[in-house]
Amino acid sequence: MGGTSPLAWFKWQALFSDWQVFAVGFGETIIISALSLMLALAIGVLVGVLGVAQLAPARAVNRVYVEFLQNTPLVIQIFFLYHALPHIGIMLPVFAVGVLGIGCYTGAYMAEAVRAGIQAIPRGQLEAAYSQGFTFSGAMRHIILPQAKRVSFPPMTNQVVNLIKNTSVMAMVAGGDLMYHADSWASTTLHYAPAYVVTGLLYLSLCLPLATYARKLERDLEGGL
Amino acid sequence: MKKLYLIFLALIAACALLSGCGGAPAAKPQAPAGDPADIKAIKTRGVLKVGVKVDVPKFGYKDPKTNKIEGAEIDLAKIIAKKILGDENKVDVQGVTAKTRGPLLDTGEIDFVIATFTITEERKKTYNFTEPYFVDGVGLLVKKSSGIQGVKDLNGKIIGVAQSATSRKALQEAADKAGVKVTFLEFGTYPEIKTALDAGRINVFSVDGAILAGYVDDSTVLLAERFSPQEYGIASKKGNDALAKLAGDTIAEMKKSGELDKLFKKWGIS
Repeated sequence: MGGTSPLAWFKWQALFSDWQVFAVGFGETIIISALSLMLALAIGVLVGVLGVAQLAPARAVNRVYVEFLQNTPLVIQIFFLYHALPHIGIMLPVFAVGVLGIGCYTGAYMAEAVRAGIQAIPRGQLEAAYSQGFTFSGAMRHIILPQAKRVSFPPMTNQVVNLIKNTSVMAMVAGGDLMYHADSWASTTLHYAPAYVVTGLLYLSLCLPLATYARKLERDLEGGL
Repeated sequence: MKKLYLIFLALIAACALLSGCGGAPAAKPQAPAGDPADIKAIKTRGVLKVGVKVDVPKFGYKDPKTNKIEGAEIDLAKIIAKKILGDENKVDVQGVTAKTRGPLLDTGEIDFVIATFTITEERKKTYNFTEPYFVDGVGLLVKKSSGIQGVKDLNGKIIGVAQSATSRKALQEAADKAGVKVTFLEFGTYPEIKTALDAGRINVFSVDGAILAGYVDDSTVLLAERFSPQEYGIASKKGNDALAKLAGDTIAEMKKSGELDKLFKKWGIS
């Protein structure tokens, strides 16, 4: 490969000798992903269940949360947490900005998946649970959610893939993630082509297995219904 | 499942193929007499394409009132256009950032980058650079209330730099010399660094002094200290060697005649 090509061999050599830069970013991306996933799941179940509650205010909370977070760009939400909150005295570390921002954002999508899953369960199930003396939360926990899980899982797994890719917005607020380190290294050395090829492959290595798993879950579900 | 991995493999193969083609166009036959291929291409096109800054007042700045990009570096582009095409208005400038300037040169979308592009030994391996047309030092912009007077006050401070990062290296060396520990955060654009400074995310905004001058306001102060000189050069694609020579000669002539000093004086840059 010629010396003038964006993918010239000496640029790859430079990248391999600086591999730690990418490893550090990759690790950070995985940690931010894992923690924000936990937050997103917690929010998803909570807000999702609120969406099928009988109390109108509870359903309103679900709608406001979901519509607000789904219909504003994640970048704006992250900028708000990072640049705006310090002006009112709240200085979250950038790591917390990432976990909170991406967790809350993905939580809205998880909530919709959970709500759809619950609504796929015949209404008779809830009525039967009530007739056995279950409360709303008891019925949800023991009767409805275990059944809804099967329906909700494939779309939720797809949201995990989105979550991982979305962590790349952290690069815009010096978040120390994989994309940040790739940008930093690429603009210092100007070897942008190998940098972004490798970065893309690293994201792929996280997301492809998950996407494959989601497809398998979907197929299993089709067989079961 | 198997199909999926086949697709994946095909993608990688396509990647390799594309990169293989990247080096090929260098073998264009040269015109037997007259202009070298790279200059001829511009003459055929009838316009010189140059990447410039749009967010650095006096160097390359898009005036929101007139919507025109102006500055000393745009004037340089015009002078080169006049040399090649005989008309200083046959130049097409477009804004570039640290992230886009390299790819735009490589694809041939632009012929030159004249955009406060610092010359380094490592970068010379990737692009042709002319001799420096301007030398600037890295400066420090701090909040007045922070009480920071110079490098010695930077212990434990967070410094916001631009992703092009030559200022980062310069400042790290200065901090090591002064025996102070600093951390760096990199941002994509200058306004983002200023926003982070205003929010208190960083204590210092540090890029080239002439660039910082455009961001001084009532709450901030630009310290007098300057670090390791940053030399700006005109960059062009490797292989377009006649273009690089022409730009280099132009700068050398302008230096000799004093025209270059006059140009920067005209824009109030010293």
